[in-house]
Amino acid sequence: MAWVFLAPYLILFVAFVLLPIVFGLWISLHSWDFTLPGKPFVGLENYKALIDSTSVTFAPFWNSMQATGIFTLFSVPLLIVIPLGVALVMNENFPGRNLFRGVFFAPYVLGVAVVGVLWRFLFDANVGLVNSVLGGLGLPDRIPWLSSLPAAWVALVAVTIWWTLGFNAVIFLAGLQDVPRELYEAASVDGATRWSQFLHVTIPGVRPVLSFVLMITIIASANMFGQSFIMTNGAPGGETETAIYYIVEQGLSSFDMGAAAAASWILTLALMAASVLVFWLFRERDGSKA
Amino acid sequence: MNQKSGLSQEALQTSLSRRGFLVIGAGGTAAFLAGCGGGQGVGDTNTDAGGEFSGEYTGPAITLAYWNGFTGGDGPAMTAMVKDFNGQAEKITAEPNTMDWPTFYQRLPAASQAGKGPDVVAMHIDQLATMAVRKVLAPLDDVAEQIGLAETDFTGPVWAPAIYNDQRYGIPLDVHCLAMYWNQDHFEKAGIAEAPTDAEGLDEACKKLQEAGYGQPMWMPNLWPAHIMFLSLLWQFGGEPYAEDGSEATFGSEAGVSALTWMREQIDNGYSPATVDADAQYLQFKNGKNSITWDGIWQINDLQASGMNWGIAPLPTIGDTPASWASSHQFAMTSQAADDENRSNASKEFISWMSDQSAAWAEAGMIPARNSAREQKAFTDSPQAALNDYLDNLHFLPPIPGLGDVTVQTMEVAVNAAMLGKSSPEDALSEAQDNATQLMQENQEKFG
Amino acid sequence: MKALRIGLLGLLTLLFVSPLLFMISTSFKTRQEAGQVPPTWIPRDPTLQAYQAILNASDTPVFRWFVNSMVAASAHAVLVVITSALAAYALARLEFRGKRIVFASIVATLFVPPVILVIPNYEIVGRLFWLDTLVAVIVPTAANAFGVFFLRQFFLQLPRELEESAFLDGANQWQVFAKIALPLSLPALATLSLLSFLTNWNDFLWPVYVLFSAENQTLQAGLATLQAANSIRYDLLMAAAVVASLPVLIVFMFAQRYVIEGVSRSGLKG
Repeated sequence: MAWVFLAPYLILFVAFVLLPIVFGLWISLHSWDFTLPGKPFVGLENYKALIDSTSVTFAPFWNSMQATGIFTLFSVPLLIVIPLGVALVMNENFPGRNLFRGVFFAPYVLGVAVVGVLWRFLFDANVGLVNSVLGGLGLPDRIPWLSSLPAAWVALVAVTIWWTLGFNAVIFLAGLQDVPRELYEAASVDGATRWSQFLHVTIPGVRPVLSFVLMITIIASANMFGQSFIMTNGAPGGETETAIYYIVEQGLSSFDMGAAAAASWILTLALMAASVLVFWLFRERDGSKA
Repeated sequence: MNQKSGLSQEALQTSLSRRGFLVIGAGGTAAFLAGCGGGQGVGDTNTDAGGEFSGEYTGPAITLAYWNGFTGGDGPAMTAMVKDFNGQAEKITAEPNTMDWPTFYQRLPAASQAGKGPDVVAMHIDQLATMAVRKVLAPLDDVAEQIGLAETDFTGPVWAPAIYNDQRYGIPLDVHCLAMYWNQDHFEKAGIAEAPTDAEGLDEACKKLQEAGYGQPMWMPNLWPAHIMFLSLLWQFGGEPYAEDGSEATFGSEAGVSALTWMREQIDNGYSPATVDADAQYLQFKNGKNSITWDGIWQINDLQASGMNWGIAPLPTIGDTPASWASSHQFAMTSQAADDENRSNASKEFISWMSDQSAAWAEAGMIPARNSAREQKAFTDSPQAALNDYLDNLHFLPPIPGLGDVTVQTMEVAVNAAMLGKSSPEDALSEAQDNATQLMQENQEKFG
Repeated sequence: MKALRIGLLGLLTLLFVSPLLFMISTSFKTRQEAGQVPPTWIPRDPTLQAYQAILNASDTPVFRWFVNSMVAASAHAVLVVITSALAAYALARLEFRGKRIVFASIVATLFVPPVILVIPNYEIVGRLFWLDTLVAVIVPTAANAFGVFFLRQFFLQLPRELEESAFLDGANQWQVFAKIALPLSLPALATLSLLSFLTNWNDFLWPVYVLFSAENQTLQAGLATLQAANSIRYDLLMAAAVVASLPVLIVFMFAQRYVIEGVSRSGLKG
């Protein structure tokens, strides 16, 4: 009987998750071109090429891994701290609160393509609004946001925050509202300052929500593709091409699926190692941040 | 008239330089490919021409899917031609689908493989070999015979290189190349009477423009069309980018270094900003922020519509001999269409009719491929007629399968790196050339 | 504190609203004005030319893209909720051989990044002849482990007494599930369906490569294609962005509470 319940899900799961995992491994052991009939077995050559510094694919792949790392490193803390801050500010009932909440959340429902197209225009070095406003404020206004580093990273991170701030903030808000008022009152009675209350009541109280948001944010950042694709196309010189972007271009544009599959396995192992690390770090009771 | 989605000037543009977009043969893996993948009759695609073409379609009413990449100023002209075709063909309706070239080259093989591809396409001559090898295209020898075309009817290498493995895959439509544009108002203000024709002349012109108040008169891109500027200069300096037999890359030679160094110098001389956003050099040319720009003749329509006072001339000879990069749009039929006799015949009729419209295509800013069409008023009155005498100096890339991807992954990367100042022209080109040679050898094994 | 809040919220609202206003304003500009330096806030000669161009062109059926996205996201959400609820209930309440293994393998894939599935799924989808159809963006991604995990947590927390008494009244397993467990889990189901809808709506990478023809693209993929073909025609791009955003924003305006509350519950334990 249980299997009847499980069947629909399991069919999908086996067909589109389990099978591909194994199939992907299989593909990575071949020189696999989607459009050609011959797909010769090459063993570990695809993997070797990715770790052999004299191969053609070595530099672009590891640069793309670095790009993913840079983006994740810079975006995740900001994507936690800023939404949390916004949620704290919104954590009281004041007139218009729901309206503000809607305004901050709106970019997320627009979708990454609308957001990317819009901000690519705004960050245009010549005709974009950002430089124009900066100039109006007396700041440097010829910044090539999308064609130079580190400006491109700033632009990509900023847009990601604009896009998903509301999403994270709303989840934080729910978590904050879950913290019982009595705890604050008790702390207040004990003479704790607001900051101290924040550290010792709020943070522990939202711990589970914090770890949830941290997890989904890290995953989202490590998988960043749309912003790079739409806004910079990997420019200026491929430095903003993330690992996923590289893999997908290799496999679905150049049709070198074997190499792409191998690269995706290496990326997967790296990501899994990273998530285990984060998981473990966050489990520390006397944690760094909370 | 249907206003097309691509009303701006991107024809071949930026996209081709965006990495990984050009589909074709690949090559990331090291050279461990065993066996030859091409030339095997295995698989579902059909390399047979679908029956002899009689010259006219007599089957039932049919709709053809026609994919192309004419998103720029050339778009409206192609749309008009398709409309004319549909108007005169009783039983055939051609439905165009236009997307940017990189997307086109990525989707074509994928869609064809999935059986969801188009029937006819317009594409570049240097991609024919790659698509043929991937069994995306079907041979068109009978169409060529039917139209009675021969090499002598055409200018330059737009006829022969459309042949791969002794079979013809493309019917030529046009020739398009790189040209120099300038802002006539700026030139007048700076007291420049004639377009420069060599390196000193260009340098002098830039200096005069600077004196007239145009601080950065000639912006140098690091993305599209930087690498075709590089190719043009490479040929001017006497070099060749690739060996004709596909065995190695040679763009890192002294000629290549000279070419790329000259490009880089224009930034160092202060004629161009250090980094130029994708397409910005062209947009700002139209805005009057710079005075001279090198771009394809496909921009002509867009410039005419912009209302600015502009001029066009062949590229100045920076190197030793005049030369310019060129390519040719060709019509081709997919093997998917060849599988069905009606579809195949309808496609062939479409192609032969379209190739006859060479003159109408001059409205798109292109140079008609057929010699006879270039004698007609539609061409002689056009701005691009200024390049008529230059036709012998046009250079095409050799028809080697997979070359497009090699260029994207190596040459374009090197040009980009040097123009951004990330490495010296010599270092960038030397590394890229080695990589390219490696990839080309892998492709030879892979495609047979 | 109040002043700080007002100041902060005001600043944030400015940052969130002004880009959208500029987007709308630019969509009414002429081609020249859209690309000029410095940018203007109010179009000098407001015109509908950009909208006409976008809506008339057969290669950019923006409304069709919107419909495709709606259909895909809705179908996806329904598929996810149905399959996940059934499976989660079995894992939470039913006993069977192999339960541990099934659950463990599902949870294990929570840590597997989706990138590893892209290439092989592309091949699989190709062989199923699903390429260039909406099925390709609805089905393969429906098997993610989050839904099962989330709902299982929820079902575990339901008080058993209700189900037990139903059994005593003679109900079979299916009736207990459908008539007791499901109704009680409506909030969780709503949250999951919302999250699935939004995730699918926002899905970008997969549709871009899996959908080819103009009529079959989703909104995200179509916009990306449109931008590639018109990279500096900012008037056209903004018009397309407006057409893509307007329906979404209107729906959001009405469903705002529902959407936000659904999302906000995703981080809580139910």
